[in-house]
Amino acid sequence: MGDRRLILIVDDEPQIQRFLGHALVAAGYDTCLAGNGAEALAQAAAQEPDLMILDLGLPDMNGKEVIERLRLRSDMPVIVLSAHDQEMEKIMALDLGADDFVAKPFGIGELLARLRASLRPRRAARSEQVRQGGLVIDLAAHQVSRDGEVLRLTPKEFDLLAALVGNAGRVMTHHKLLQLVWGPAHVDDVPYLRVFIGQLRQKLERDPARPELILTEPGVGYRWAATEGGPAEPGKQP
Amino acid sequence: MPRFGGFLGAALLLALVTLAADRLHELLPENVSILLFLTAVLISAAAFGFWVGIASAVGAIAAFNFLFVEPHFTLHIAQPQDLITLAVFLLAASLTGLLAGRLREQVDAAKGRAAALEVVSRVSGDLAGAASAEDVARIALRHLHELAQGPAVALVPERDGLRLLAALPQGYAPVASDLDAADIAFRRRRAEFAAARGWAGSRLSFYPLHADGGGTVLGHARLDPDRRDREWRETGIEVVLRQSEQALQRLALAEAAEAERRRAVSEETRAALLASLSHDLRTPLATILGAVTTLRELGATLPPAAQADLLAAIEEETGRLARYVEKLLQLTRLQAGIAAQMAWVDAGDAMQAAVARARRSWPKARITAEAGPLPMIRAEAGLLEQAIFNLVENAVKYSQGPIRVTGAVEGQELVLTVLDSGRGLPPAIAEWLASDEAVGAPPGAGLGLPICKGITRALGGRMTAQRGSSGGAALAIRLPIPKPRA
Repeated sequence: MGDRRLILIVDDEPQIQRFLGHALVAAGYDTCLAGNGAEALAQAAAQEPDLMILDLGLPDMNGKEVIERLRLRSDMPVIVLSAHDQEMEKIMALDLGADDFVAKPFGIGELLARLRASLRPRRAARSEQVRQGGLVIDLAAHQVSRDGEVLRLTPKEFDLLAALVGNAGRVMTHHKLLQLVWGPAHVDDVPYLRVFIGQLRQKLERDPARPELILTEPGVGYRWAATEGGPAEPGKQP
Repeated sequence: MPRFGGFLGAALLLALVTLAADRLHELLPENVSILLFLTAVLISAAAFGFWVGIASAVGAIAAFNFLFVEPHFTLHIAQPQDLITLAVFLLAASLTGLLAGRLREQVDAAKGRAAALEVVSRVSGDLAGAASAEDVARIALRHLHELAQGPAVALVPERDGLRLLAALPQGYAPVASDLDAADIAFRRRRAEFAAARGWAGSRLSFYPLHADGGGTVLGHARLDPDRRDREWRETGIEVVLRQSEQALQRLALAEAAEAERRRAVSEETRAALLASLSHDLRTPLATILGAVTTLRELGATLPPAAQADLLAAIEEETGRLARYVEKLLQLTRLQAGIAAQMAWVDAGDAMQAAVARARRSWPKARITAEAGPLPMIRAEAGLLEQAIFNLVENAVKYSQGPIRVTGAVEGQELVLTVLDSGRGLPPAIAEWLASDEAVGAPPGAGLGLPICKGITRALGGRMTAQRGSSGGAALAIRLPIPKPRA
C-alpha cells in the first residue's frame, strides 16, 4: 500500500482523533496522530506526512505558531480545524500558509473534499486549459470563452481569475489574492478586491447574484468551486 | 490689658526688693541698691508686660526715694539726678515691657499656629481611613470643633431638608436661625457665614461639600475675631473642608472602581463560561457529527470494529453533552437566583444516587461510597445529587486512582467528602471554593466546581477544599444539620 497518502491528525481531543482516524482509513489514507503542537512538529519532521489536519485550539501553542514553525522547513498542505470564535486565528493561519480550513463541527464529506483539493498538485498556470460549466479558460493564451464565445477580461481580471483557478477548491484569503495580483503594497485593499470579484462574476457566472464558480468565504476570502471528476474536471494538457 | 495678677506680682516683687534693700542698707552702697530695684522693674516688665513695667518703675523710684534719698522717709525729690534716675527706670521698664510683649505675642501666635497645623496634619490621615461619606462628615466635624474652639455640626439632606447627623460637643443643638443658614448653604451650594457678634442671624458658618453627591453640610461656630491665631484657624478650617471634599471624591472613585471590578469579574466569569461552552459543547458535537457522517458516507468501507467504535463514541459524546447541558441549566437556575425547594432529604440517598450515576457515566472509574446512617437534612434532593456528582466528575477528570465518597457528621454539620488520588486542587481554586465569593472563580475552575459551590450555598452550606490523607484532593460539601424540634 505504498501509494496511500499519510495524513497527520493534530488535535488534543481523543474523541476527534478517534472518528477522524476511522474515517480517513476508510477513505483510503494512512494516519498518524499528535495531541499538541510540539508533537505535531516532531511527527511532521519524522514521518513526513503528505498533509496535516491541524486543530487551532491546541493546549501548548496556537495554530499560528505551529504553521510558522512548520513552514520553515516544509510546504506540506495544512488544513486547519477552527471554531467560530477563532476567526482571527484562522485567517492568520491561512495567511501564514495554511491551505484551507474546515469549521467545527463538520461532516466528513466536507473535510474529505478539502483534503483532496489540498492534496491535488497546484496547476502550472502557464500551460493549462480549464473547462468548467461551459467555460473554457486558457491560462496560456490568456483567453476565456463560454460556449465558444470569447469573453473580454482586463489583464488584472485575468490575473485574479488565474490565481483562483490555479488553486481550485482551496480558499484564497483576501490577503493572498491581493498580494498575488496587485503586489505586497496592496494587501489591505479588500474593497478593491471585492470590486474586481464583482466584475469577474458579472462576466463569468450564469447568475452573478448566485455565484457557482467564485464562492465567497465570509470574512476570509474566495474559493474557485472545486470540481471532482466528470466533464468539469480541469482539462489535461494535450 | 494686663491683668490684676500682673500688678500684684510686680507689687510683691517690689516689696521683696525694698525689704532686702532696707535690711542690707548697712552693707550695700546706694548705687548697688538702685540696681536691685532696676532688676525688679525689668523682671516685672518682662513677665507682666508694658503697663505693669511702667507701674513697677514708678513704684521702685518712689520706694528708693523714700528709703535711701535724703531726706529719708520722704518722697521729696531734691536733686535733678533723681529725676534722671526716674527717667532711666521708666525707659528701661517700657522698653523691656514692649519687647517682652512682642515676644509673648509671637509665642502665642506660634502656639495657635502649631495647634492649627497639628489639626491639619492629623486630618488627612484621619480622612484616609474614612470608609463612607458619613465617616468623612464625622471626622471633619471633630476637627472643625477643635479648630473653631466652639460647637460644630454636620448635616445631611433628607427628603425635605437637612437632618442633623452629628454635633460636637455632644448634644449641641443648632437653633432655627442656624438651620436656615445651613439650608441656604445647601441650596445655593456655597458657604454661608455666621453673623457678626451682636447681630441677628446664624451663630455658625456653613459649608456645603460639593464633591458629595449626597450634599453634606458642615458648620462651625464663628471664630473669635480677637484671637491672634484666627487666621491660622481659618486656614486650618479651609484645609479640613478641602481635604473632606477630596476624601469624598476618593470614596466616589473607589466606589466606581469597585463597581468596575465587579463588572470585570462577572465579565470574566462570562468569558470563562463562553470558553468552556466553546470547548465542552463543540467537541461532543463535532465528534457526533463527524462520526455520523463517517458512518453514513464511508460505512461500506468501514470494518465492523470501526463501526462499533464510532457508535460507542456517539453514545459517549451524547452522554457528555447531556451532562453538560444539565450543568448549564443548573448554572442558569443558580444565576437567576431561583431559591432551592427545601424538603427533608436523606443525604445518604443523594450520595448513593450521585455515585450510581457517576458509575454509569464512567464505567472504568473506581468509585466507592462509604457512609453510616446519616441524619436527615433540609435540602433539594436533585441539587444535592448534582453537587456531589460534580465533585465526583472533577475527581474522575483529574485523577486516575480510586475515588472515595464519604458522609459523616461533624458537630452541627453534615460533611460529604469526595477524595481522589490526583495532584490536589490548584491553591487559587481551593481558596476560592472555601471563600464567600459567589462569583469570580479563577480560570481553570471549569463549570462543575463553581456550580457545586453555588448549589451548596443555595442549600445554606459551605465548601472546603483540603488535602486528603492519601495525598489527593478532599473536597467537601458541609451542610447544616437542623436542630430537632423540641
